[in-house]
Amino acid sequence: MTLASWLVPLAVAIVATAAISRAWASAGTNGGPWGTAFNRLRRNRGGMLALGFILFVAAVALLARLLAPFDPNHQLDIVALASRPPSLAYPFGTDIYSRDVLSRVVYGARISLSIALLAVAVSITVGTTYGAIAGYIGGRTDAIMMRVIDALLSIPRILILLAILALWGRVSLGALVLILGLTGWFGTSRLVRAQVLALKAEDMVLAAHALGARGRRILLRHILPGVTSTIVVAATLGIGNVITLEAGLSFLGVGVRQPTASWGNIISDASANYAGLWWISLFPGLAIVLTVMAFNIVGDALRDALDPREIQPA
Amino acid sequence: MTAPDPRPQALLTVRDLRTYFHTDAGIARAVDGVSFDVMPRETIGIVGESGCGKSVTSLSIMRLIRPPGVIEAGSRVELEGRNLLELPEHEMRRIRGNRVAMIFQEPMTSLNPVFTVGEQIAEVARVHANASRREAWDRAVEMLQLTGIPSPAERAKEYPHQLSGGMRQRVMIAMALMMNPSLLIADEPTTALDVTIQAQILELLQQIQERFAMSIILITHDLGVIAEMAQRVLVMYAGEIVERASVGDLFAHPHHPYTEGLLAAMPTLGAARTRLAVIPGTVPAPTRWPPGCRFHDRCPHAWERPEREHPPLFEVGPSHWSRCFLAEEPDRRRVITRSEDRVGETR
Repeated sequence: MTLASWLVPLAVAIVATAAISRAWASAGTNGGPWGTAFNRLRRNRGGMLALGFILFVAAVALLARLLAPFDPNHQLDIVALASRPPSLAYPFGTDIYSRDVLSRVVYGARISLSIALLAVAVSITVGTTYGAIAGYIGGRTDAIMMRVIDALLSIPRILILLAILALWGRVSLGALVLILGLTGWFGTSRLVRAQVLALKAEDMVLAAHALGARGRRILLRHILPGVTSTIVVAATLGIGNVITLEAGLSFLGVGVRQPTASWGNIISDASANYAGLWWISLFPGLAIVLTVMAFNIVGDALRDALDPREIQPA
Repeated sequence: MTAPDPRPQALLTVRDLRTYFHTDAGIARAVDGVSFDVMPRETIGIVGESGCGKSVTSLSIMRLIRPPGVIEAGSRVELEGRNLLELPEHEMRRIRGNRVAMIFQEPMTSLNPVFTVGEQIAEVARVHANASRREAWDRAVEMLQLTGIPSPAERAKEYPHQLSGGMRQRVMIAMALMMNPSLLIADEPTTALDVTIQAQILELLQQIQERFAMSIILITHDLGVIAEMAQRVLVMYAGEIVERASVGDLFAHPHHPYTEGLLAAMPTLGAARTRLAVIPGTVPAPTRWPPGCRFHDRCPHAWERPEREHPPLFEVGPSHWSRCFLAEEPDRRRVITRSEDRVGETR
């Protein structure tokens, strides 16, 4: 419960980053294209710093029980301790219900991160499958599948989400993950489809056909590996995006519901008086901004490192 | 009892192969009525300019034509007595890479950059023979050794970009040999390689042909490669075979003006320094082959008849066929002098 316990996630993040860096360095020596790419990523300082920060946030989320000074939902003293500004005892202050904001931000990391990770896992799986099928089959099937995507992409995602969530009423976290995931795959499927279409025309696919490989094998072994870098980049950027979306929805009161803490709904706890209760919205807001930024930086670094024009030195 | 056929049984019989591409710009008759045989252990060369239908012919044999390309009804491709064009797709898959294998011009783009070459060679045995990982790998290394790659066990663990162009082509050959095919189709196998490497690869092809008792269809635009490798030659122009002969005949007595043009365009070592002869013009678009003889607008001998009438293949010598009316009207052949082309002789 002391300041010292924060050294644990910090140490975890530093050690893990160093270990990853070492692993990528040795992967870079075997000459494989992935090793080469990750070795390049390793040398991107900003990217590695952002990765370290993400690992730190993840460690905080996992160790929430150890790090949070109080139960995040416990009202300490509604009379004496409501809306207290930051102090040594309550570093992030307390909210209007006298709950400790630091504890809520720490536990909120669990909710916000895991929702984002799971939702992106859903959207990447669906998007990749859909895009790969459309691109690989091609022809009319592809045309129809892509018109469906065009239609879905023409509706702003936030509107779909608000409509669904407002009609649904109180949703469980699992349902929220599914809803976020199932509204997030359209763009990914377009990216994957374009890539599959391009890879399908490559000599190596023709060569694989000429050796008697069947369609499924060609798709899995010769086409999808070429799409992986696109998927990894899309997923990383997608996580940042979903964190923001979930925060927005929770802020509006249709995402993660009280009393469960998520970064978005902690901010809305200050809705009575944002200027006067600045600490209630500032700290979860910082958590959102820094984490999303870190994911975007890592995503950009991955994009540079996995650039297909550099992935196979001629 | 009937007398046995004196001719040996052909390994591959292609009859009236027509592959058309149904595009928005019209029907492109890329291969338009091609017939030939490939005998066991024979190397047959197919030559012609880009766009004359060589590659489409080979892809048609493998049934690897993609839409809008269609192998038209009535075409026949028989391998060891079976018409490949009538096989269901899953049986055709068992032929590809197994009975008939193919190697391509650009080994770099034909190999998958994210797997080691050993894995890729081994994959062939896993697809066709259901071999275990271990067996497939061992056989892959064995094949690499056969293709003359030094320390094949180490090389097998490398990725395509770590190998030189010649080695990559050896890898492609190793893949093709995995299942001991009876026919190897080599589509411009040396075009992307240095001349010295080219000679090595051709020699390797000859060695493995002997060892595996394979037939080879060698597609190239390089008559020098044909002279070195093939026993018989098909000259293709505008989707058709315009001349078919043994290599000796073709070089000694070319009949078709297009073949003459190709031979004249070959650089010769030690000859006077002359500007290389060229065949004027280009192959016409496959959607609009000229009526009559398809070569007439580029032919130095052309007269009215080939403009109107489409020539059949004439037998101009023993086993020597030419799609040219000069076979019937030899007096029409003009003497072509190239004196005006000569440059630099005085230097």
